[in-house]
Amino acid sequence: MRFSRGAWRPLVTLPLVVAVFLAVLALRHSVAQAQAPEPNQLSVYSPQTAYTVPLLEVKGQLYVGLVELLEPLGTVEARAEGKKYRLSFTPPGGKSREAQFSEGKDKSKLGGKDYKLPASFIVQNGHGYVPLAAANDLLLRLASLDVEFHPASRRLFVGNVAEPFNLELRQDKTARLFISFPGAVNPTIATEPGHVRFTFRREPVVSLGPDTVKFNDPLITGTTFSERDGIAELDVQGTAPLMANFADGGKTIIVTAAPAPPPAVAQEAPQTPAQAPNAQPSPAQPQRPTGPRFLVLIDPAHGGSDIGSAITPSLAEKDVVLALARRVQRELASRGIAANLLRNSDVAISLDQRAVSANAARPALYLSLHAANTGRGVHVFTSLLPVTSLSPQDFLPWDTAQASFLDLSGSVAGSVAAELDARKMPYTTLPAPLRPMNNVAAPAIAVEIAPPGSNVDEIADAAYQEQVAQSIAAGVAAVRGKLPEVRP
Amino acid sequence: MMRRLVAMFAILVVIALGLAFYALQLKRKVVRDEQLAAQQQLALAAPASGPATPVTLYVASDADGSLHKQSVSIALPVERTERARAVLRALLAQYLQPSTPHPIGDGGDVRDVYLLGDGTAVVDSNSAFADSHPSGVLAEELTIASMVLTLNASDPNITRVKILVNGQERETLAGHADLTRFYLADNLGHAVKDTP
Repeated sequence: MRFSRGAWRPLVTLPLVVAVFLAVLALRHSVAQAQAPEPNQLSVYSPQTAYTVPLLEVKGQLYVGLVELLEPLGTVEARAEGKKYRLSFTPPGGKSREAQFSEGKDKSKLGGKDYKLPASFIVQNGHGYVPLAAANDLLLRLASLDVEFHPASRRLFVGNVAEPFNLELRQDKTARLFISFPGAVNPTIATEPGHVRFTFRREPVVSLGPDTVKFNDPLITGTTFSERDGIAELDVQGTAPLMANFADGGKTIIVTAAPAPPPAVAQEAPQTPAQAPNAQPSPAQPQRPTGPRFLVLIDPAHGGSDIGSAITPSLAEKDVVLALARRVQRELASRGIAANLLRNSDVAISLDQRAVSANAARPALYLSLHAANTGRGVHVFTSLLPVTSLSPQDFLPWDTAQASFLDLSGSVAGSVAAELDARKMPYTTLPAPLRPMNNVAAPAIAVEIAPPGSNVDEIADAAYQEQVAQSIAAGVAAVRGKLPEVRP
Repeated sequence: MMRRLVAMFAILVVIALGLAFYALQLKRKVVRDEQLAAQQQLALAAPASGPATPVTLYVASDADGSLHKQSVSIALPVERTERARAVLRALLAQYLQPSTPHPIGDGGDVRDVYLLGDGTAVVDSNSAFADSHPSGVLAEELTIASMVLTLNASDPNITRVKILVNGQERETLAGHADLTRFYLADNLGHAVKDTP
């Protein structure tokens, strides 16, 4: 068979057209990916804790998960029954409030009274979501708490927690800018020539004055405060490289001229544990508060696309451990022990990142939380490593950093087991080959909760989780004296 | 001309979608066949010739979070690596029974065991072994400990074990237990409870 010259043309050009079309599609997709904004999230600040809640976008409307929003603030019990979604919320020391929503409808009931949502209620994977615009009103009605919502920056202040800062420029020999806060702060600090920028992710920092302030000073020329994407940022501008120091137990940041010439490339000096992997020494690196403190770092395992174990078809390990982590944090706080969560929302963090963050936080204890539907009761683990002759002060190998802390880790595990035993809860203690525990240079244990009996659903039971949380907190409190208070 | 272009493009798209669907079906069939083959092989337990030999299996129990010694008699090959593989398959066969105290999911199998001169055994499991294994710290640890101790009991020269999945190193077994490391038999005795 022979083709004329003209007959070849469509055969050659068509695949080319298709290839170009697909290439354009791929390019558009990759550009869209590259330009995709950070995942929508709501930052919530309350007297007990600060946390972020992922937002869901449905038909252009932002939604927030009810359980995710309320759980850190009290005890929540929620269940979907067909199209109905019932929720009970009990604030600490308060009375239980009931709410009932209907999937796909904006009519609901709060405490037996009719309540209209600004958009339809939705249910996804057994989780109930309300429009973000209704979040502050729902909190007000369910928790009876004063709530202030900054919709543009998606920051929600529950109770009187907002922390306004104060600026004072002292012009002695060289200018020094004193930034004072009501409580200690721990912002991420980034420096670049002429700027030092403080990013507050966990602190409810707000500005009561104008967002932009100008100074009549040759070194420090002004500040700009802004809020966006659940964070607050304070940018201090200057005509020379600036550096920041903490004072007054972290309640004051002093910005002055940097003593050394700045690096050519902007360097970031992260302060929050989750950003520690990129930490670089910098001339403008702030001096951290230097007082000793006893900090427990709680690591709810998994998160994001890594759901962990599927406890039931609608209950993922990542959700169970986050709820448990918040309970443990509250129980520790009630015993006067400070505790931070390595993740306080549904985000994916790699094992190496977790270890790096844990080591950067220098906790007195690292507590990894897991959940499974196999076995019964509570499983308490220490690291499965041979004991080493290296002391914690030595340079520790990454793969076996935990080996130097096995004695202390064993003491904590034994103490938690004793508390479980006292509460007549079934438990098992074992060493386990579990990462990232091996890489953590601090006393460390892992706790895995399994159902207390044959009913797997009981793993999410509030009373059961509360008992486990109390056992862990009491166990840690009992050995607090043995664990070294680590200087930050 | 434009109509012909559109028609050709539509045909190409349909063909591409058809091929993608066919490839997906093919992939699923391969996985199904692999699992079926593994189950059929495991049903045979230890393929061997010769008289039945007593071996000690360390069988995991999720209920009490421990390993229990269990003696079984199986026909063992003469060759060391084949013998090690046969013992492990006898252990996994226990876990695949409906009444097992430690289920590991369907299709789990040992493809090969390689013995190195320094007392190391490298166990190459199939994909189903890891993919269908229940996720949990305790469940995964018990599986690994039972395999290592069973190997050590059948051949005391095997003192450390590395587990691969489908010939590749994997970060964890099913999200928890570390598979990047070597496991020492001496380090796993904590989980053993002797059967009364």
